Amino acid sequence: MGAEKGKSILKFLDLLRLVLGNLNRRKGRVALTAIGVVIGTAAVIILVSLAIGLQRNANEQLYGIGDLTQIQVSPTYGEGFHGGGGGPVMVGGGGGGGGAQAPKLLTTHALKELRAIPGVAAVIPRDYLWASLMVKYKRLEGSANLIGIGTNDLSDLGLEAGQGSLTLKRGTIIIGPQVAANFYDPRLRPGQEPPKPPDLYNQQLTFVFIKWDREGNEIRKTVTYQVVGVLTETLGENDWSILMRLDDVKALNEWAQGRRINYNKDGYSQVIVEVDKVDNVLAVNDAITALGFQAYTPLSFVQGINNFFVILQFIFGGVGAIALLVAAIGIANTMTMAILERTREIGLMKAIGATNRNVLAIFLGEAAGIGFIGGLGGVLIGWLAGQGLNVLAIVYLASQAAQQGGIPLSVAVYTPLWLLVFALVFATLIGLLSGLYPALRAATMVPVNALKYE
Amino acid sequence: MSSPFIRIRGLQKHYQMGGVTVRALDGVDIDIPRQTFTVVMGPSGSGKSTLLYLLGGLDRPTGGQIEFDGQRLDEMDENQLALFRRKAVGFIFQSYNLIQSMNAAENVGFPMQFAGFSPKERAARSLDLLARVSLGDRSLHRPSELSGGQQQRVAIARSLVNEPSLILADEPTGNLDTASGAGIMQLLSDLHKSGRTVLVVSHDPRMVRFATHKIFLLDGRVVSENEYHAASLE
Repeated sequence: MGAEKGKSILKFLDLLRLVLGNLNRRKGRVALTAIGVVIGTAAVIILVSLAIGLQRNANEQLYGIGDLTQIQVSPTYGEGFHGGGGGPVMVGGGGGGGGAQAPKLLTTHALKELRAIPGVAAVIPRDYLWASLMVKYKRLEGSANLIGIGTNDLSDLGLEAGQGSLTLKRGTIIIGPQVAANFYDPRLRPGQEPPKPPDLYNQQLTFVFIKWDREGNEIRKTVTYQVVGVLTETLGENDWSILMRLDDVKALNEWAQGRRINYNKDGYSQVIVEVDKVDNVLAVNDAITALGFQAYTPLSFVQGINNFFVILQFIFGGVGAIALLVAAIGIANTMTMAILERTREIGLMKAIGATNRNVLAIFLGEAAGIGFIGGLGGVLIGWLAGQGLNVLAIVYLASQAAQQGGIPLSVAVYTPLWLLVFALVFATLIGLLSGLYPALRAATMVPVNALKYE
Repeated sequence: MSSPFIRIRGLQKHYQMGGVTVRALDGVDIDIPRQTFTVVMGPSGSGKSTLLYLLGGLDRPTGGQIEFDGQRLDEMDENQLALFRRKAVGFIFQSYNLIQSMNAAENVGFPMQFAGFSPKERAARSLDLLARVSLGDRSLHRPSELSGGQQQRVAIARSLVNEPSLILADEPTGNLDTASGAGIMQLLSDLHKSGRTVLVVSHDPRMVRFATHKIFLLDGRVVSENEYHAASLE
């Protein structure tokens, strides 16, 4: 026989055995009470999973906006700026006035200013073509956005090659993956099957540039370029664009405008600032704005969207939590009833040596047990329901995407593991808290009164 | 014998009931030596059950002292009282107070759970004790499947499970027929003979035959046997 033991705290296993035994005695009532918790927990899981799923979808689409470490910088012009005209025109005469409206051009000097901002990894000017463009490949015709890039290595912009290389040489181009889809056969009759998008890699494309003189006569210029690379999909502007050396685009723009372009004076039309890491993007963005340029980073937009989804998660979680609150009241009610019914049992437990803490632990354990059982059921049902919703939503949305174009969703409802664990812990905690008052009442009963209770 | 096993001095227990102070015990002095069989007798309302509960640490006195084996019960906190009840006292109740959802062996072993014994130890000891109260073959029966006498014997086995030195019984034969009651009295007497101190509250006159000591209570005070009989004749 073991030595006499005088501890006032139950061993965990003994407590567990007692609690499970007590819950087992009242299966029906425990099950009914737990159903409330099941519903609440499942509601929390489904709603929060839905909010997370929505956020994931939004992010998948948003990452197409561009590399989040990039900031697009545009010059600030005074009012009255003419698209391709002869440079900025000052209005109001406040030359030294400073302020946001003061013109600030992306001159070579300005690029040095940008490069000097801490956290800036690279400053890459870009320019668009200021003429109309038609691209021909064999008998197909197409159109695309032509962008001049101020670097010879496109990996500086975080781009990746699906085919070929990322290095631009004079007379070569690198195209986005969707460019080929924009080619069509002009001789195609209505009703005829359109041709498949051609594989343009390593092909020669004929560019027809078009400008008009002052009398409105069309002037054409034809140049042939070699496609040396095809980019991977980024879901951004580059997907539909043809990338060319900035010098080449500058020459074309000089032809289109009939005058020389001096970047030292006129400035670039756009500069991409590559930031060393995402954490620095917003600070750099602010620094650029402070210099008087227009700066845009998709990050602030993405962050705004993310904040919205975090709020959405809380709102959805809160709606589910209301169901859990109702369940908590159910647990409190069940435990209060149990303590009334078992008053004599409580008296007996005390008579045979249970301390107040023992009694408290037993009843808290029972309440937490109901929460845990309900939480377990809720986690299971919530997760299964989420999976079911996913299957339905993906099938439906995939058919929608197939009909209307666009990117099909990969998930509608996303249930992360942490949510399941959190919900289970939360349900158990809710049970524990609901049981606190009844358990305290049980623990502090005077033993003799409890024993005499009828 | 230097100091008695239990020494009660000036013990008082007052209740407030409907604005009236009920003096359940009103200045009681009692000495109970070790290894005795004491029967407390008195009409209902005389304070005899109150005395038993105070002695067992289930209630707290309004005034006075209770000394148990040199320890002052009236000075203990809740936790100390619980440990005192666990180690030193075995309770037997009129209505048995068995837990209906537990079988006989589980009921007997229940107090050991709070004392931290392993399930194996509990089972072994419960079966041993059930055999000693002649219920070795009923260990898996639930209280509802046992007669009143058998249930009370399960309760006696339970009271012994933590090997207490004091057994307190509150009207243990009150709910039983004559034959079963006699069996229970015999069992209590055997416990006394095996070296335990037994204190029984009862108004069953047959219990007196086993008693080594008798205490008579009237209106919360200890009286002599003559006074007691004189009062009960009136």
